[in-house]
Order: sequence, then structure tokens, then C-alpha cells
Amino acid sequence: MSFRTFIFSLSASFGVAWLAIIIVPYFKMRSIEPMSMGEDASGTNVVFIPKRAGRITDGAEVYAANGCYMCHTQLIRPTYAGNDLFRPDWAGLVYDDERGDTRRETNVYDFEGEKYANIGIARVGPDLSNLAVRVENIYAENESPEQWLYRFLYNPRERPARRLSTCPSFRFLFEKKKLTGNLSDEALPIATEDGMEIVPKPGARALVSYLLSLKKDQPVPVSLDFSPATEAPTAVRPAEVVPTP
Amino acid sequence: MSTVTTTNSQEDIAVRSRIDRSLRHPVMFFLTSGAAWLAVSLILGIISSAKMHAPGFLDSFGWLTYGRTQAAHLNTLIYGWGFQAAFGVIVWMMSRLSRQECRAAGTILMAGHLWNLGVTAGILGILSGYGTGMPWMEFPAFAWPVLLLSYFAIVVWSFVQFKVRPEGHVYISQWYLMAAMIWFPWLYITANLLLHVFPGSPVMANGINAWYKSGLIFMFFTPVALATAFYLTPKVIGRPIMSYSLSKLGFWSLAIIMPWAGMQKLAGAPIPYFIPYLGAAATVLFFVPAFTSAINILRTGFSDLEIVSNSPTLRFTMAGVVGLIVMAVAAAFLNLPKWTLPLTQFSMSGYGFEILALYAFFSFVMFGAIYFIVPRITGREWLSRRLIKVHFFFSIYGIVTVAFVAIFGGLMQGQGQEQFLQPSTELPEYTRPYAWATTIAWCFILFSNIFFFLHLTVMWLRLGRRSTHPTLLGSAHGHSPHGEEGDIDKIGTASAH
Repeated sequence: MSFRTFIFSLSASFGVAWLAIIIVPYFKMRSIEPMSMGEDASGTNVVFIPKRAGRITDGAEVYAANGCYMCHTQLIRPTYAGNDLFRPDWAGLVYDDERGDTRRETNVYDFEGEKYANIGIARVGPDLSNLAVRVENIYAENESPEQWLYRFLYNPRERPARRLSTCPSFRFLFEKKKLTGNLSDEALPIATEDGMEIVPKPGARALVSYLLSLKKDQPVPVSLDFSPATEAPTAVRPAEVVPTP
Repeated sequence: MSTVTTTNSQEDIAVRSRIDRSLRHPVMFFLTSGAAWLAVSLILGIISSAKMHAPGFLDSFGWLTYGRTQAAHLNTLIYGWGFQAAFGVIVWMMSRLSRQECRAAGTILMAGHLWNLGVTAGILGILSGYGTGMPWMEFPAFAWPVLLLSYFAIVVWSFVQFKVRPEGHVYISQWYLMAAMIWFPWLYITANLLLHVFPGSPVMANGINAWYKSGLIFMFFTPVALATAFYLTPKVIGRPIMSYSLSKLGFWSLAIIMPWAGMQKLAGAPIPYFIPYLGAAATVLFFVPAFTSAINILRTGFSDLEIVSNSPTLRFTMAGVVGLIVMAVAAAFLNLPKWTLPLTQFSMSGYGFEILALYAFFSFVMFGAIYFIVPRITGREWLSRRLIKVHFFFSIYGIVTVAFVAIFGGLMQGQGQEQFLQPSTELPEYTRPYAWATTIAWCFILFSNIFFFLHLTVMWLRLGRRSTHPTLLGSAHGHSPHGEEGDIDKIGTASAH
């Protein structure tokens, strides 16, 4: 085969794939149009633009730089691709107080505001799509969600329920400061020397703010809603499927 | 020895010798520098793997947190060891095959140092907390233009050599090397431009990264290793490759199928539905080019078992090609959309498969090439066949463990993930036994490579054996199949390869 045939065939075989699965989808998906949710009670057309509250950009950088994506995913797959939706608390809550079953698959709007979707490589630990939902509703019982997360990041194995966790300790994102009067709001309830307190550094604050923005259980437009038709939520929490910590 | 089909005239030997002398500095630099990066990567790999089952290990320092050491481990393995071994082999093989001396040795050497600088700065960036979070592209954004520039400065000369080659047969190795040299910049520029420079869809960005990872394995490291195996096997055996047309089939099936692979890692993600499953299909179909080439090379190599057991080059190369077969079986088995893909998509089998590709196949063939090339460019023979044997066997032990973890462990881990009635606090337990196995595997591999580094350093210091006979594995020095061992001053009477 001649050099020209070689170059042409190589370019064609690679180029077709390159165009079909890389260039065209990437640029076509650049700006996703908002979808209509239909009309609300007052007759106004409501649009689905999920807004995430929190320091998404900074926090996502800390998340990425510390390799959280190596052990955690942020993808709830449809049932043809995996069993993520069946878990009681990964995809939403199986029993939310107001809306009943709020579980849904990840849709393309869920990563808006981030430059690179932290879908993740492996699940050594749980999926984090709805981490904020779990922290607020299930884990943080006597403390604020921020406090719960700060304590977890400082020492993941602190609580007995998580003694098997292999999450690394992120105590390098915290610092010991001299106490000035009372403990600051974010001081961790961990014993240190007299006159010192442990507070999160800016990196930890950004990370926790990002983690608390991870809620992917809001209502979606009908065309994105693949949940099976159900009756109205019952008043009593179903016995068998209780969200587990 | 069996009938040698190549002409071994004095003129031929002189040409080969001139070629080897012209590029000894850049090639030796790449091989030794690559080996040094391999050492760094193995140490980082052991540290990371230990943290998976002992999370308190070395956890006081931010720069040693798992997320950063694992990223540094993979990036040093790929860009430190993998690419530099590939550069050494590309520069040497293209010169030999095109029968051209290397006229840009100084430029290539400088570009190699620039590459080292880029990788070092990138690794320091990752460990100090500036990693980008994109798998296999974790170097901070300043690194990729430096590496790309250095890449062009290294390989453009091989292109030129190919274009001015003498009339006649084009070896399959040359096609593979040319293809690899074109595919890598296409992959690299696309991925880096779309992920760092031109904003777009965050989900597709993740997909492009997955495509890039798969592209590096199947469209750079695989063709370079195949080119090497297709070169070394007939050289050492003394017979041509069994079937040239089968080798072309292998090449074009690789070129047509593999650009589609990679996005199966995004199955279920909100991207066009066909893309991940096309990726899974392409990855499964990797067995077509893999088996085609493997059968070709193994039939040629095993036509003379005595040579295979005696020659360090061929032992490593054949083992590497067997690694290719295992890799192809794993690629098929782990990516079946209904049965295994949901289990393996987010499990250790991804990492295990990557190590199979980078070590079991690519690195073994590179070791074979190093055992062949270094004596020719330093003019000395390897000192000790025992060092070579330890390197071989302990690497085999390590990589077999990794293969087991990838194929079996990933499935078990995935099964655990799919048990949705189990609380997710149990998830680390599914990983733990395989994390142990991986740490042990890396320890074996590091142990084997300590002997390799020792041996290579000795050769680099020009302290190898001065002899007319290559160091062979099976026979003691006194009973070489080459006959009576001669002194280096009598080198004119020896037969050259």
C-alpha cells in the first residue's frame, strides 16, 4: 500500500469515529435548552433549570484535585444499565416527607455549572449524586449538615457506623487556631490542646459547600421523568424499605 | 542456529552499527529515564494500594492523600515510563527499519529532557493539589503544550526517516509506528483542546476523557508494542513473520474498530444512548486485531522453542503477547453490556484492565526490546542471566495477580454494588480483599524491577560484559549455542543481529 493510501485510510478510519462520537456530540450538547415543566397553579409556564446553591466551581476544584472521583461516582444510571435507582437513598429518597418517592436518574442538566462532570471512576464508597439529601435528612441528627461533613472529612472512621470506611482523612484541609473567646461556629468538637480549636481551611469550606449542593431529586419535566406511575404517597413510612445510614 | 534469511554481509553490519552509534544517546536516555519513572510509579502504586486497605497509612500529609498518589502513580506510569520507553523504541526501530542514521540526536535528547521537565512539573502539580481531576489527564493545564511540543520534536525525525527510506518492502512494524505517531497527537490535541480550552458539555467532556484513556491504550501503546513484537520476533528467530497479509488484517482491524471505544465507562449517563454501547462493542471486538496479531507473532516465535527459552528478548516479548491475549479476553469479558458491564463499570476492573494493558502487554514487550537494544547501543552484554530471570518471573507473578483482581475482583465488587438492599457502608468491604491482592502484586513487580534497574544502571555505566556472545538464559556461559565464547577484540568473526 502506498503512503498516500495509508494516510488517507488512517485519517478516514479515525476521522469518522472522531466526528461521530466526539466532535459532533460535544458541540451539539454545548448549550442545552431549558425544558418546560408545564404550567404551575397560577397558569405561568414553568421552566426546568436546576439551580445549585453553593460554591460549585471552587468546591469542584477541591473535589477533583483530591481525587474524590476515584472512589465516588455521581451517576444514577437507568435500570437498563444498573441497579442504582433501587437503592433507597442514592437516587433521592424512597420516602420523602413531602413528595414520597423522589428517586430519579441523572439527567443532562444535573452537571450544569461545572466544567467537567465528576461522574467518577469507581464505587469504593457510595454514589454522591444526592449526598446533601442524605446528610440533611438522615445523617446529621444533632448537628448542622456542615458540621456532620466537617467531622466526616476530618476523620471518616470516627463514627461506629462508618468504622469500615476507607475514605482518607482530609485533616490537612483543617487547621488548629488559637481560641479567641468562644469556639467559632465551625470549630470541630474534637479534643485538642487547651486554647486551640480545629477549624476548616478555605478548601474544606469550599468542598463542603459543593458537597451540600449535591441534590438531584427535584421534580423533572414529564419527558425526563422515567419513574413508574405510582399512587399518591401514603401517610405511613413503608416498613420494609427504610433509608439506611 | 536455524537458517538465517537476512543477508549478513559486512556492509549490512556496518550500516546497523552506524545507525546504533548515531542514536545511542537519545535512546539510552529514554530507556533509562523511563525506567527511573517506572520505579517512581511503582512506589507510588504501592503507597496508593496500601491506602485502600489501610486508610491511615501516611495520611497526615495532603500531598500523600490517596486521590493524589493514585493520580501521580498512573500519570508517571503512562507519561514517565510508557511514553519514554515508546520513544526509545520508536526512534531506534524506525532508524533501523528505514536504514537511516539518526541525524537529530541532539534535538531528540533535548526534547526528551523537556518531556521529563513537563512530567516532573505535572507530577509536582498533582501532588501539591492542583490536579485537574480528569483521569489520565490530571497534570495541571500548563503541562500539555510542553509535552506536545516535546513529542513532535522527538518523533518528527522518524517520519522523515520513513519518507526517505530505501525502495522496497515496508515492514508491518513501520505501519504500526507511523499510525501510533499520528493517532497520539490526534487524541491528545482533541482531548486537551476540548477539556481545557473550548468549553462545552460537562458530561461529554467526561466522555471525551474516557475516549482518550481508551485511545491511549488501544491506539498508542498497543500499536507501539505490536510494532516492537513484529520486529523482535523474526529478528531473533531468524524467520520472517508467518503471514504478512494477516498482519495487515490485524493492523486495519485495529485502525477501524478501536477509535470507537472508550465511552462504555459512561453507560447510563445522559449522553446519546448509542455512544456508550458502541464503545462497549468496539472494546469487545478488540479481540479481532489482538488475536490476529497474537497468533501471527506467537506462531512465528514458537516455531523454535529453544530460542524462545534461551533469549531474554523473546521470552519477554512472547510473554507480552500472551499478555495481549489475556487483555483481549478481559476486554471482551468485562464489557458485555447486559451481563458484565453494569458490574464492572465502576469497579476495580477498570484499573486492573489498564494495568494489564500497560504492564502485562506493553511493558513486557518493552522489556524485551530493552534487553535487545541496550547491548547494541552500548556495545556491552547484560551481566547476569539470573538478574534477568528474577525480573521475568516476579513480574509474571505480580501481573497474574493483577489480571485475577481485574477480572474476578471487579466482578465481585460490582455484584456487591448491585445488591441494593445492602447498606452502602458495606461497599468498602467488597474492595478490601482485592486491594490487598493489588498491593501484593505491586510489591512483586517492584521487587522484580529492582533487579532490572540495577542491571540497566550497570549497562548504562558501560560496565556490561565485553563479549561477542549475547547473554542467554538457558545456557551457562561456557555452552553458548554461538559456540566458543570469544573476546571482544575478535568481534569481526561473530554473527551480528
